[in-house]
Amino acid sequence: MSKDMTIHLKYWKQAGPDVPGHFEEYTLDTVNEHMSFLEMLDVLNEELQLQGKEPVEFDYDCREGICGSCNLVINGQAHGPKAEVACCQLHMRNYKDGDKITIEPPRAAAFPIIKDLVVDRSAFDRIIEVGGYVSVKTGSAQEANALPVEKEKSDEAFEYAACIGCGACVAACPNASASLFTGAKLAHLNKFPQGEVERSNRAVAMVDQMKEEGFGDCSNFAECEAVCPKGISISAIAEMRRDYMKALVS
Amino acid sequence: MPSFIKAINSQVGRKIMTGITGIGLMLFLIGHIVGNLTIFGAPEAFNIYTKTLEDLGPLLYVIEAGLAFFFLYHTILGVSIWWNRRKARPEGYKKYQTKGGPSHQSLASKSMVYTGIIILVFLVIHIWTFKFGDTEMVKLASGEMARDLRALVIEKFTDPLYAFGYTFVLSLLILHLSHGFWSAFTSLSMKSKEASKKVQMGAYGFAIVIMLMFIFIPLYIYFTGGEGSLISY
Amino acid sequence: MKLDSKAPEGPLEEKWRKHKKEMKLVAPNNKRKYEVIVVGTGLAGGAAAASMAELGYNVKSFCIQDSARRAHSIAAQGGINAAKNYPNDGDSIWRLFYDTIKGGDYRSRESNVYRLAEVANEIIDQAVAQGVPFAREYGGLLANRSFGGAQVSRTFYARGQTGQQLLLGAYQAMMRQVNEGGIEYHPRHEMLDVVIIDGQARGIITRDLVSGELKRWEADAVVLATGGYGNVFYLSTNAKNSNVTAAWRAHKKGALFANPCYVQVHPTCIPVSGDYQSKLTLMSESLRNDGRVWVPRKKGDDRHPNDIPDEERFYYLEEKYPSFGNLVPRDVASRNAKIVCDEGLGVGPTGLSVYLDFRDVIKRDGKETVAAKYGNLFDMYENIAGENPYEQPMRIYPAVHYTMGGLWVDYNLMTNIPGLFATGEANFSDHGANRLGASALMQGLSDGYFVLPATIGNYLADVKPGTRYGTDHNAFIEAEKGAQDQIDKLLNVNGKRTIVDFHRTLGKIVWDNIGIARNKEDLEKAIKEIQELREEFWTNVYVPGEKNNYNKYLEFAGRVADFFELAELMARDALEREESCGCHLREEYQSEEGEAIRNDEDFSYVAAWEFKGVNGQLQEELHKENLEFEFVELKQRSYK
Repeated sequence: MSKDMTIHLKYWKQAGPDVPGHFEEYTLDTVNEHMSFLEMLDVLNEELQLQGKEPVEFDYDCREGICGSCNLVINGQAHGPKAEVACCQLHMRNYKDGDKITIEPPRAAAFPIIKDLVVDRSAFDRIIEVGGYVSVKTGSAQEANALPVEKEKSDEAFEYAACIGCGACVAACPNASASLFTGAKLAHLNKFPQGEVERSNRAVAMVDQMKEEGFGDCSNFAECEAVCPKGISISAIAEMRRDYMKALVS
Repeated sequence: MPSFIKAINSQVGRKIMTGITGIGLMLFLIGHIVGNLTIFGAPEAFNIYTKTLEDLGPLLYVIEAGLAFFFLYHTILGVSIWWNRRKARPEGYKKYQTKGGPSHQSLASKSMVYTGIIILVFLVIHIWTFKFGDTEMVKLASGEMARDLRALVIEKFTDPLYAFGYTFVLSLLILHLSHGFWSAFTSLSMKSKEASKKVQMGAYGFAIVIMLMFIFIPLYIYFTGGEGSLISY
Repeated sequence: MKLDSKAPEGPLEEKWRKHKKEMKLVAPNNKRKYEVIVVGTGLAGGAAAASMAELGYNVKSFCIQDSARRAHSIAAQGGINAAKNYPNDGDSIWRLFYDTIKGGDYRSRESNVYRLAEVANEIIDQAVAQGVPFAREYGGLLANRSFGGAQVSRTFYARGQTGQQLLLGAYQAMMRQVNEGGIEYHPRHEMLDVVIIDGQARGIITRDLVSGELKRWEADAVVLATGGYGNVFYLSTNAKNSNVTAAWRAHKKGALFANPCYVQVHPTCIPVSGDYQSKLTLMSESLRNDGRVWVPRKKGDDRHPNDIPDEERFYYLEEKYPSFGNLVPRDVASRNAKIVCDEGLGVGPTGLSVYLDFRDVIKRDGKETVAAKYGNLFDMYENIAGENPYEQPMRIYPAVHYTMGGLWVDYNLMTNIPGLFATGEANFSDHGANRLGASALMQGLSDGYFVLPATIGNYLADVKPGTRYGTDHNAFIEAEKGAQDQIDKLLNVNGKRTIVDFHRTLGKIVWDNIGIARNKEDLEKAIKEIQELREEFWTNVYVPGEKNNYNKYLEFAGRVADFFELAELMARDALEREESCGCHLREEYQSEEGEAIRNDEDFSYVAAWEFKGVNGQLQEELHKENLEFEFVELKQRSYK
C-alpha cells in the first residue's frame, strides 16, 4: 500500500554564522509516505554519509511536536504545508512522487545561523528571562485551591501557554517579529490571578527585550498564527498591546 | 510623560499610532467624499461648500496642519516599520509563501507601503491642482464671491490623463483600506475572532464603497463630458 | 561496599519531617560561597537549579538542547499525581504511597516512596502559584482524573500537555534566577565527565556543542538530572537526544548504577511502521480511561475492525482483570499486548498491534465530549497513523518509555560518590520495578523543588566554604584528556557503517532480548551479541565531520558508545535477577496464566553495580542494598 516516492531536495548549507551559505541538491528515491519529514532527512543523511559527504545539520529532539526544537522552513512555509503541525510531525504522505522541496532555516537577524539549518534561538530565552514568570519562590505557595480561577479564563490561558517556542512565528513573519511568542507568554501569565500582580512590569520588560533582540515590528499579517504548530491566536498580540500601553500610559 | 513618549515609540506604540492616524485619515476620507458629492447637488452647492471651508480662516489652517501631521506621521511610521524588516531579516528566503488559513497576507497587506506612497505622491499633485489651482471668481446667489472650484473640477476631469490618473490612484484605496481598516482595529487591541471577522468584512465594505464613490465623480464627468444629468447647471 | 540508604529511623509519617529537622543548614551568607553544578534542565534539574538559586547558592546549569525549555520532561502528556483528595474519594498520602510501592512491585524503598507521596501535594501548590494552567472544574477549582494502577482520581492534568506546562513552570522559575544572577546558564553543552578530587565530586567536563570546545567547570557539588536511558533501545518514546552519557560517565568514575534492567514499556504507543522509523510516539495512558483494548478472537481475522461484532472481539484486559480492566498498570497492559500478539491475534500490517477502541464512549458521551477530553491526542494519532480514531479504533503497541533504573542514591539523593547527586529519572530511587502513570512528573519535581534543595545543604555544610582546587588541577586535566581521547578515537575509526545503523542494530538486540519478556538463554545470547557489535563499532563506525564545529553525529557517536556498555549491564542485571517483578518478566518465573512470580526471599534488594572496566566484556561488581519493609506487607500484586 505504500510505494516509495522520489523527492527532489534542495537544502541550505552554511558552515557558520558569518560565512555565506548556499543550496545543495539531492534526489531521494526511497521516500515512504509514513515517514515523518525529519525521518526523510535522516535517510538523506544516511545516504550522504555512505557517500562520504557531509550530512546536513538540523535541530530536533522529541519528534512529537512538543519540544519546539525543529523549525524548518519548507517550500517557504514554516513547518511546511500543514496547519497546526510541527515539521517533525509532518508526514511524507502530504507530498507526492516527484515533488521538489526546498528547505531553509528560519531567517532572522535575532536567530543567527549556527550551521546549515540550525539557528540560535537564545533570544527567546532572554525574552522570558526579563519577566516571563510568576515571581514565586519554591515553598512559598499557598494551597492550590485557595484561589479559584474561572474555568473559561484558565482554559484561555492554556491556549496561550501551549506555545512550544519553536520560532515559526518569527520565521514566517514578513517583518521577523516575535510578537506572537512574547504575546502568548504575556497572555498566559496575565490571565491568572497569580500572574496579574506583575502584569505591567512583565509586559514592558518583555516587549522592550523583544526589540532589543532585533526582532521586527508586528504589521498584523497574522502569518504567525497560520504557521503556529499550536494554532495560537494573534489575540495574544492584542493582549500584549493592551497590557503594554496600560502599563505605560495609564 | 517620559513613559508616554516611550510608549508611542515602542514597537507596540508605533503600530497603535499607525492605527490611530489611519482611523483619523479614514474619517477624513468620509468627510472628503461627502463634500465632493455636493458636486451633484444644486449648481452652487459645491462652491458654497468649498467657500465655507475657506471661510474658516485660521481654524482651517489648524485643521490642515493636523491633517498634514496625520498623513506624515502615518507615512513615517509605515515606511519605518517596512524599512525595519531589512534589519530584522537581512537575508531573505529564496522561496517564500503564505500558509493561508488565518493569515492576512494578501496583495493588499503586502502592498501597503507601495499603495501608501503612491497615494502620498498623488496627494501632493491633488493639492497642487485643486487648492492652489487657477480659478475664476463667481458670484453666488447670496451675492458673495467664491472661487469656482466646481468649474475646475469639471475641467480637470474631462482631461483623460487627470480623470484616469485620479481613478487609478483612488482605486488603490481599495487595497490600502481593505487591510488598513482591519489592521487599525487589530492594532488597537481588537481581540475576539468574531469581531475580527466582522471588522474584516466591514473593511471590505468600507473600502469598496469609499473607492466607488471617489472614482464615480471623475468617471461620470469624463464620460458625460461634464454634461451628465446628475450635474445641474 | 556497604550500601547505606541513610533512611531516617522512626515512623514512616515522621521520617522526612524528622530528617528535615535534623539536617545541617548552611547560613545565608555562606550559601553564596558555594557553587553547585546542575546538569539537565528537565523537571528535576530545572526545579533544582531554580530552587537552589533562590536559596542563594551559585548554580551553573547545563543542558544539551538549545534551551532549557526543551528538556524531554516536556513530552509527558497525562498528568501528575498528588493525594489532595479533592474528589473526596478516599485518597490519602498513605494510599498514594501504598499504590506507588505496590505499583513498583515492592522493589523500592518505603522511606523514599512515602516522602514522594508526602511532598506531592506541595508540588501542586507550587505549580499553581507559578501559573501552570491545570484543568479546572466550572467552580474554578482544580479537576482530577483517574490513571492506571489506582482506584481513586488523583491525577492533575493540563490537557494532554501536563509535562510541558510543568516544565515551563520550572523553566520560567529558572530563567528568573538567570535574570537575577543566581544561575549561570549554559545551553548546548554536553557533560562528558565528572571530576573527582579526594573522593568528592568537584566539577565536570563539558563539550560546547556549537564550537566543539571542551571546558572545565569546578563546583562544590554536582547534580545529575540527565534523564533516563530508554534510547538504548534505539526506538523509544524518548526524545532523540535523550541519552545515558552523563550518568554512565559518572558510573565509570565510580558511581553505582542500580537496577538497570528495570525498563518500563508503555502499553499505548503508535506501532512501528518501517525501518526508517526514528522514534515512537506515545498516546497518553489517560486514553485507557475510556478506550477499550481488544483483538479479534480469531487468528488472522482481516475484517475491518468496525465489522467485527462484539462477541468475536477479545477484550483481553477486561476479561482477565475484571476489577481494573483497561486500567491495569503499564507493565501488565504491555505484557498482555505482547502475549496476544505472540499468539497471532495482533492486528495491522505487521501483526504487532492491538486495538484501542473509542466506539462505546463516543456512543455514550457523544463525539464532542470525547473530543474535549482527547481531541489533541486523536488529532496527533490521525496525523501520524493516517487513520481517524473517531471512526475506527486506534492501533497501539507497547514501546519503551521510562527507565526506573539509574544511578544509585541514598535518601539524600546522593550517589556513593560524596558531592555527586542524581535526581529524577537519572536516579533509581522511587519507582521500584515499575512506575505508575503520572508519577514521573511527581518524582522529578519532588526531587527538584523540595528534596534536593534541602539535602544538598546537609552535604555542603560539611564542605569548607570557598574550597577551590582550580581547573588546572590534575583531575580536571585528566578528565578532559579522557573526553578528548574518546572524541578523537571516534573520529579516527573512519569505518563503513553509520552510527544510526549501529544504534538501530543494538536497539533490536536489546528490544528482542531485554524487552517485555526475558529469559536466561536470550540474555546470554544478547550479551555475546552486544559485545561483538561493540567490538565492530570501535573498528567500523563512520563518524562524519569535525570536532571543532557543530556536529550532531559526533554527539550521537559518543552516546551510542555508552549505550553499548550500558546494554551489556542491563542484560547482566536481568540475568542476575531470577524472578519476575514489575516490568521485569523472566519467562522462567511466571505462573501458568502468565502472571509474574516474585521472589522476595532472594531478590528483595536493589542491585547496584560497580564499574570495573571494559575489556572485550564489561567488568562490573554487584552490590546489594536489601530492601526492608516495615510498614507494608509484601503481597503478590493482583489487579484481577
